[in-house]
Amino acid sequence: MPELKLPDIDYAALLPMLILFGAACVGVLIEGFVPRSVRNMVQLVLSLAAMVAALVFVIRRAGEVTAENAATIGGAIMIDNMGLFMEGALLVLGLVSLLLFGERTLERGGAFVPHAAVTVGSERDREQAVDSGATEVYPLALFSLGGMLMFVTANDLLTMFVALEVFSLPLYLMCALARRKRLLSQESALKYFLLGAYASAFFLFGVAMIYGFAKGVDFRAIHEAVRGSETSPTLLLIGLALVAIGLLFKIAAAPFHVWTPDVYQGAPTPVTAFMAACTKAAAFGALLRVLYVGFDGAKWHFTPVLGAVAVLTMLVGAVLAVTQTDLKRLLAYSSVANAGYLMVGLLGGNKDGLSSTLFYLVAYGFTVIAAFALVSLVRDADGEATHLSRWAGLGRRSPLFAGIFTFLLLAFAGIPLTSGFMAKFGVFGAAIAGDQTWLVIFGVLTSIVLAFPYLRVVVMMWLSEPGETTPSVSIPGVLTSAVLGIGTVATLLLGVLPGPLLELADQASSFIR
Amino acid sequence: MTPMWYIVLATVLFSIGAVGVLIRRNAIVLFMCIELMLNAANLALVTFSRINGTLDGQIMAFFAMVVAAAEVVIGLAIIMLIFRTRRSASVDDANLLKY
Amino acid sequence: MDEYLDSYAPVALLALVGVLIVGGGFLANRLLRPRQPNAAAGKRDTYECGLDPVPGGWAQMHIRYYLYAYLYVLFAVEAVFLFPWALVYLKAGLAVIVEMAIFIGVLALGLLYAWRKRALTWQ
Repeated sequence: MPELKLPDIDYAALLPMLILFGAACVGVLIEGFVPRSVRNMVQLVLSLAAMVAALVFVIRRAGEVTAENAATIGGAIMIDNMGLFMEGALLVLGLVSLLLFGERTLERGGAFVPHAAVTVGSERDREQAVDSGATEVYPLALFSLGGMLMFVTANDLLTMFVALEVFSLPLYLMCALARRKRLLSQESALKYFLLGAYASAFFLFGVAMIYGFAKGVDFRAIHEAVRGSETSPTLLLIGLALVAIGLLFKIAAAPFHVWTPDVYQGAPTPVTAFMAACTKAAAFGALLRVLYVGFDGAKWHFTPVLGAVAVLTMLVGAVLAVTQTDLKRLLAYSSVANAGYLMVGLLGGNKDGLSSTLFYLVAYGFTVIAAFALVSLVRDADGEATHLSRWAGLGRRSPLFAGIFTFLLLAFAGIPLTSGFMAKFGVFGAAIAGDQTWLVIFGVLTSIVLAFPYLRVVVMMWLSEPGETTPSVSIPGVLTSAVLGIGTVATLLLGVLPGPLLELADQASSFIR
Repeated sequence: MTPMWYIVLATVLFSIGAVGVLIRRNAIVLFMCIELMLNAANLALVTFSRINGTLDGQIMAFFAMVVAAAEVVIGLAIIMLIFRTRRSASVDDANLLKY
Repeated sequence: MDEYLDSYAPVALLALVGVLIVGGGFLANRLLRPRQPNAAAGKRDTYECGLDPVPGGWAQMHIRYYLYAYLYVLFAVEAVFLFPWALVYLKAGLAVIVEMAIFIGVLALGLLYAWRKRALTWQ
């Protein structure tokens, strides 16, 4: 038997991930041993501290990345500039959306229910109404975020598959834990789970095909096999298509988007915010790595197909957003359309495309978290009032919140002086530079269509009279206020002064193979 | 016998699973079809491992098995939850969210 | 351009074969199955003679210990990592033993959580 050689592990580079996973394990212990009354506070502080600590180590690592020290654990994880940027972005967005998880002033016990299977209104349900809520969501969110960090830095397809499951499985569970509208929440979890598992099975079979083609699953081996392909590309094409299905499902690109509106509507709003910002960013980070590092030699094969997917995604998202009557579903279809715009940047295929996609992910993440934070504030006796008609006349009742929401919607629509404009401008510019003008034409057209549902909400809020059924806007607690403030200020700042983040994204837009 | 036949078998199993998810109605059966797809991928991995002459594929199959087990537990927990609140495991009954 | 499209021919062919196999399966099923099933009374009962069965054959079992089954599935499958480890741990030194201890520790943490949440008691 040959001598066993252990791979080197660079613990310093892996520290952000290790901190998150470690804190999640501690969170599980807290769940078991800390008294219920203080559990929520302890868990929240622990999770926030872990994320801040992880962020500190990500920032300390910046500037120290070289071609020699980027790969670790035998090349399974690649912490290059791009990976580091994505880790930082995910941690910041995760941190902001975790504040929403901790909100307890809007509703007694928070948005999460400890025993989801208990019948609403029964004796046991009244008992758990005074509870501190399902504090398990904090460790679950940490596991999920740790998996996302692993997903964007994975340097082979197997690690990527494991990371995909590590961040998806907690999300499935968190979707099922809403305190209000429990049946909707559980149904969304079932749909998300079944479709998600279906997509990941496609991903795994694709990995197997790629393994057959390239005799390895790390991106360097795939890259070399694609370039020197004297073998038949059949396995490559099948494998790439199946892997792409798995990833396109996660970014909610049409025709793999059908889960998005149901899950966004049914899941507890803090989880929806977390998914809309972080899952999308993580999945795009992984897709960028797969396409730019592993399969760049097959560009001529995948660009037309993914271009068609991008066009379809933009069309489906924009057109179906027009017909929506529920605010969370509207935001879900807008998220589908945004996946299309991000793909336009990705298909630009140049360095600008990469950096503009990164900028877009961060800018969109902040805006969408703030938007869902606001959705969680408009409530009546049954919980959140998400039907569009209920928002009529909200501008008269609470001008401040209606004003903030108007600003966020304008950012989604891509009006100048908001981050949405800078982001769209960036990806479209990169696509024109990369000879993908046809994508930009569709992008601009669908943006115009998509502006209509946003403006309809704005008109409804400001120009309608508030009716009898217009719900009140709850006074947000400290945490939700912080989320709203951070999201809105970031949306404004990235629109007015995008320079620093653009520069950062530009520096980050390089992979190490 | 050439090992390529195992790849064909894996593809057939995968297709049976993929079609099964689309046409069956019971959540448990859907779930078993997904497991069939994962196991087809495992078979393909092990066969390619044999064709390529490396052990990587077998180790990958290990990881896929463990991930599949974790998925089973999460999935059954969610299906159980739905069943306890609705007394039905048919995915056709999960129809509150639409349009 | 033709050459480019030609390179997709295997994919198209495979898709066609897939559709044919699945469609063929359904078609064969339809052709082969009896068209007029014997719908005589009692034909579908569990026993065709004796007492009429009451009620349906699908009874629901109360599985009190399904949580055990969940835990068992997880632990049984995680053990798969122990087998390759057992082949090499004597050669590989202390680091590998510590790593496996951490792995088992994380698993034990899950069991500890299940115990504290009273998932292991008969309910």
